[in-house]
Amino acid sequence: MFSGKSYHIWLPILLVCLATITAGAQSFRVQCPTTTITHPTAANLEPAYTGPTNFAPGPAGYLVPNPSSVNGAIKCQQISGGDGFATMGDGTQTYMFSFGPLSGLSDIANGLPGTQFPDKFNSVYNGTLLPGDPATTGLATFKFNGAVGLVPNLDCLAENAAAAAQTPPAALPCPNLPAGGLDGHVDPRPIMDIGVLNGNIPAPLMALDEDDEFFLTLTNVGQIMRPDLFEQHTVHFHGYPNASAFYDGVPDASVAINIGGSFTYYYLAPDAGTYFWHCHITPPEHLQMGMVGQIYVRPRQNRVPVGQSLLLALQQQQQDPRTKCDSSADILCSNPLPRVPNVLLGTRATTGNYAYNDGDGSTYYDVEYPLQIHGFDPNFHFVGMTFNPEGFTEMKDKYFLLNGRSYPDTVTEGPLQTMSADGAMHFSQPLPSTIKLKAGQKALLRISDLDVTEYQTLASLGIPMKVIALNARLLRDQAGNNLYYNTNSITLAGGESLDVILDSTGVPAGTYFLYTPNLDHLSNDAENFGGLMTEVRVTN
Amino acid sequence: MRATNMKKAILKTRLLAPMVAVALLLTATAFAAAPGIKATSFALTAQAAYVSQPDGQMIYSWGYGCAQAPGASAFVPQTTTAPFCNTMQVPGPTLIVTEGVPVSVALTNNLPVGAGNTSILFPGFTVNATGGVQGLLTQEAAPNTTVTYTFTPTSPGTRAYYSGTQSDLQVEMGMYGAIIVLPKTIPTACTTGLAAANVTVEGNFGETDFRLAPAAYNSPKACYDREYLFQFSEIDPNIHTQALAQINAIAACKAASTPICPNLDVPTEPYHPAYFMINGRSMPDDMDPNYSPQYPHQPYNGNPHMHPGEQVLLRIIGQGRWQHPFHEHGNHVRILGRDGNLIQSATDANSLAGPLLFTTTTTPGLAMDGIFYWTGRGLNWDPYGHNPNSTDPVAKLSCIPDANGYNTGVAAQSQINYYEWCADHNKPVQVAPFGDVAGGGPVTLPDANILTNGAWYGGSPYLGPNATQRATGCSSDPYANPKTTCGGTGSTPPSGTIANPPGSEAGFAFMWHSHNEREITTNNIFPGGMMMMMLVDSREFQIDESN
Repeated sequence: MFSGKSYHIWLPILLVCLATITAGAQSFRVQCPTTTITHPTAANLEPAYTGPTNFAPGPAGYLVPNPSSVNGAIKCQQISGGDGFATMGDGTQTYMFSFGPLSGLSDIANGLPGTQFPDKFNSVYNGTLLPGDPATTGLATFKFNGAVGLVPNLDCLAENAAAAAQTPPAALPCPNLPAGGLDGHVDPRPIMDIGVLNGNIPAPLMALDEDDEFFLTLTNVGQIMRPDLFEQHTVHFHGYPNASAFYDGVPDASVAINIGGSFTYYYLAPDAGTYFWHCHITPPEHLQMGMVGQIYVRPRQNRVPVGQSLLLALQQQQQDPRTKCDSSADILCSNPLPRVPNVLLGTRATTGNYAYNDGDGSTYYDVEYPLQIHGFDPNFHFVGMTFNPEGFTEMKDKYFLLNGRSYPDTVTEGPLQTMSADGAMHFSQPLPSTIKLKAGQKALLRISDLDVTEYQTLASLGIPMKVIALNARLLRDQAGNNLYYNTNSITLAGGESLDVILDSTGVPAGTYFLYTPNLDHLSNDAENFGGLMTEVRVTN
Repeated sequence: MRATNMKKAILKTRLLAPMVAVALLLTATAFAAAPGIKATSFALTAQAAYVSQPDGQMIYSWGYGCAQAPGASAFVPQTTTAPFCNTMQVPGPTLIVTEGVPVSVALTNNLPVGAGNTSILFPGFTVNATGGVQGLLTQEAAPNTTVTYTFTPTSPGTRAYYSGTQSDLQVEMGMYGAIIVLPKTIPTACTTGLAAANVTVEGNFGETDFRLAPAAYNSPKACYDREYLFQFSEIDPNIHTQALAQINAIAACKAASTPICPNLDVPTEPYHPAYFMINGRSMPDDMDPNYSPQYPHQPYNGNPHMHPGEQVLLRIIGQGRWQHPFHEHGNHVRILGRDGNLIQSATDANSLAGPLLFTTTTTPGLAMDGIFYWTGRGLNWDPYGHNPNSTDPVAKLSCIPDANGYNTGVAAQSQINYYEWCADHNKPVQVAPFGDVAGGGPVTLPDANILTNGAWYGGSPYLGPNATQRATGCSSDPYANPKTTCGGTGSTPPSGTIANPPGSEAGFAFMWHSHNEREITTNNIFPGGMMMMMLVDSREFQIDESN
């Protein structure tokens, strides 16, 4: 239905490309250093956690780590800010303001986080990326996870090659140029080919480990369907403790990224938990229109060597002021040492992971599923595709989404694709929400809500929900007592998250449901069946 | 920003943001505290008046006010500038009382006669009422009569009060307020150690203590250094229009001595609120001063400021009929208690058990107390942009960690980096040097031309005027290197619309707002509604909460 409009598209693309050129060659760029002050040795793995990082005063006046004691790694990701289309549960194509993947394309399409170690991120695509990729090339053959657009900086390579022999690396025309000239320089053409209309709902999934440094590059490719708008975009890391205003993504309090530019957000991963992210430009509009995503941070406890004491590992964390939780000195930490050590679950299991640094194994899970609740108001989205101002007061969601899909699409395997206005199919909704459990396994549900109009309830038919954390913080009192509770429903507002464990121990094999008892939310616009629902499948 | 000059100015949504900034420039620096009236007996009146909205509308409302103006000494904090309590305000006067000390509240019903009876509920207390007439929930004051409520607050904390008569209409019309109960005894921990040190540091930088008390509850975990009160409510303008029309019709009917006049019958469903307020004001009005004369019926603001490390008490009340997810950017909030009930561990009364939340959902009628702070711990770069090779002595301040890693020693008490997180001291964020801030860090800032700066952007990634001006090379500081004078605006263009000036404040601004994002609008206009900016300021900036 939109293919006839494709001639409309190329003029804005051209304008964006021209803007890129006139604003300077570095308007689009990515950043993913292989070493930093915090991670002085290039490594593309998470080292085991055996104790806190040791620091000593360095020559430049700040503390530097002892390389052999370093924890965590460098992680990078690139996203586009722009627009796209998604397919609703009743088959309607809906226009979105949206983020899309510009790195980790294969992983995102496979429902995985797109966050990469530097070696994966700093890899160059061998061939020509096609509009709509990976959908155009096909999931089976498309395996690329590097940064879209990344190319060797040929100018720098030539200038350095022309410098006098024996010039020290720091004194070259392009100092400290990485091997192969991959300094973050990009070719804007593949960025536009891939980034235009590649919107995802939810936006690209991000996952970090505690102690990681995260370099997130937002590249604003413009909104091809709305050439009247000059929308900036930002990334707000919702719930990050002790955030800096500069990287908080609130345009009023910081900087917003114009069309044709890239900006790299930098954070040391915060304490473990289920966070989420979204654009903070005109939030009632950009969030409703789809600029919402998920990010979670995995605890140090996962990296404790198998068989070692979790309590001892948590005691190790108490040795570092940054990672400790001393309730007598800090009112905003939630994982003091457990009051009652757990003998049975007290060592690092051979499989599975933990949601938090609990020290007692009580947040163990076998499989994890990020689940983001959202809602779309089709009237607002329709107006949002036209050139008319939108009203906010009467906003009313009619599509109720789990990971960007309504039932029955929530249990469709693989990415959903949508024919967009450029005539290409795009992977618009990469994340299914089917919870798959083998009998006896535990599933961690990382549930967040970014609905902008009302509260949403999600209930479990059959398997109790054990709530272990609220708003990315373990439910534990200052004396070390776990305050987990069992329930069959949870209620969240937009801007909240919680962690739930579903335990299939003793549950007969079969299909169970997560659904909303807000019964009017079990609909896909005019269709009276669908909405906020998915399946929990327990197999033997 | 006054209603009259804004009314016709907003032709397009996108015009508002710069206008907001202009308005802020025109107002004096003005912060928040938790102002109110401290007494043991209160004489309140219920009356009608018009409240102002930033789209220019004046909304007919009912509210509680003072029957007689209280004496100047009754207003707290005592350093408040030009406080007033008119005969009607929204929210009603904040009543500040002490645990265990009996309180009496006399309410005279001066609402228009057609409005009928009215009353006040004090949930959480055992209330005796004298005078008035029997109502469904409590004794009520008939038109032009008085009812008196007495009770003894049994536990400290923040609570709501609101009308118990025809509440669906009267609360919507504005009849609600806050009551703050101060603890009878203050734990020693709240007047010693870091709590006492913060008062010393405030004094060293010429600041005043604006707290109502050093503790929110009788618990060593409930100490605080600053406090702010946030009351959330909505207005459906159609209800108010209908109420006014019916009140006028009833008055006209009675004036004409018609034998049978209609009763007030305003439908309160379906409910379509268009105004979303914090402390009775919509953004940006909420960031104007307390007791600002242009809001004679909305005296309280929402404009929190704090220094790194300060424990900040948030008193949050849901006063309307909807829930609102109040998202505090910058850190979590530890919930201390709900409706004056401290949430303690089952195994240790001195350990807290309330949750840590980054979104504190308000619930109608529910009050909660929580502690927030911001320190920058874990940023992995030095927000002060310290540079040991600078010629500016302020750039070379020391950071000596205490047992928890913060710069809180006696020597630090007169340094602008008091409570700095020392593990990142001197650590750069940017690859290249940025003015007089060293390079060697992990990230490269793009060409500024691809960025759009916000009105609250301090002008650089750094905290405080010294760091910002060193970073941007714009400084009148004799030690600045390079020595350039660029005025007081740092790198933030355009210079006319700065709400957080690089030359004098350069705080870290965080948006605190309803995350039902459509509620950060004012009658369909963004930005507005339930939103404010919270500023974390270095100690260079004096936080003055006197108005």
